[in-house]
Amino acid sequence: MFSSARFLTVAAKPSSLRDVRDFVREGAIGAKLPEARMGELDLLVEELLMNVCAYAYPNDRPGDVTVSYSVPGPGELSIELADQGAEFNPLKMEQPDLTLSLEARPVGGLGIHLVKTFAKSLSYRREQGWNRLTFGFSAGS
Amino acid sequence: MASQRSDKSGLSVERTQVSDQIVLVVSGRMDAENAAQFEKECNACIAEGHTSLVADLSGLAYVSSMGLRSFLAAAKTLQGLGGSLRLCCLKGLVRQVFEITGLMQVFTVYETVESAVLEAKP
Repeated sequence: MFSSARFLTVAAKPSSLRDVRDFVREGAIGAKLPEARMGELDLLVEELLMNVCAYAYPNDRPGDVTVSYSVPGPGELSIELADQGAEFNPLKMEQPDLTLSLEARPVGGLGIHLVKTFAKSLSYRREQGWNRLTFGFSAGS
Repeated sequence: MASQRSDKSGLSVERTQVSDQIVLVVSGRMDAENAAQFEKECNACIAEGHTSLVADLSGLAYVSSMGLRSFLAAAKTLQGLGGSLRLCCLKGLVRQVFEITGLMQVFTVYETVESAVLEAKP
């Protein structure tokens, strides 16, 4: 989708996390994002990659995910994760109840809440068999 | 005496003892690849009869939802045994992640190791 985007295709599994993180960080350096924000960017990338692993390719079903980024402007990064797994829109996941006690709390379901908090923009579309999740990150977000 | 486990992606969980209280010093980055390591260390403590644990997060720079899952799972297990998991010294992004997810209210959080140890039941 990006005219000058860079792409990386890896197996959709947790062990790809490091490669994807390093790849996106190259984009962050290109966008001149401050080092202090790298943790937030890593978090966005990890949560969304793990969602693909768990929901687009459930039960260890093999598949790939293509990560791409572009730099729309200084201090801005636009990132897309695309896969051909089962249709899955993470933005439609139920909002977790953050007021529950320890006993009542499920252990999961917090990832997408973090993504919604840290991403500047977030969108999903299903397109010709592809899940495409795009998010924006900026020095100011 | 301390036992240490770490992996190449940079998480270490070091077991120490402060005034008869087990303190797990968690350092580095806790992500999808290594988060289970913390729960595993908690389970090892439980197997040895320790059900009151303190986790010192002063050296933890990063935690994702998989890390939160590990903290929650360990805390639930300990609570089920009549014990507890107390956290202390959350900083930077880790504190921010706990705040955003409402977990500062779920866990008993202390500012120092000393205060967490004082409050912990033997």
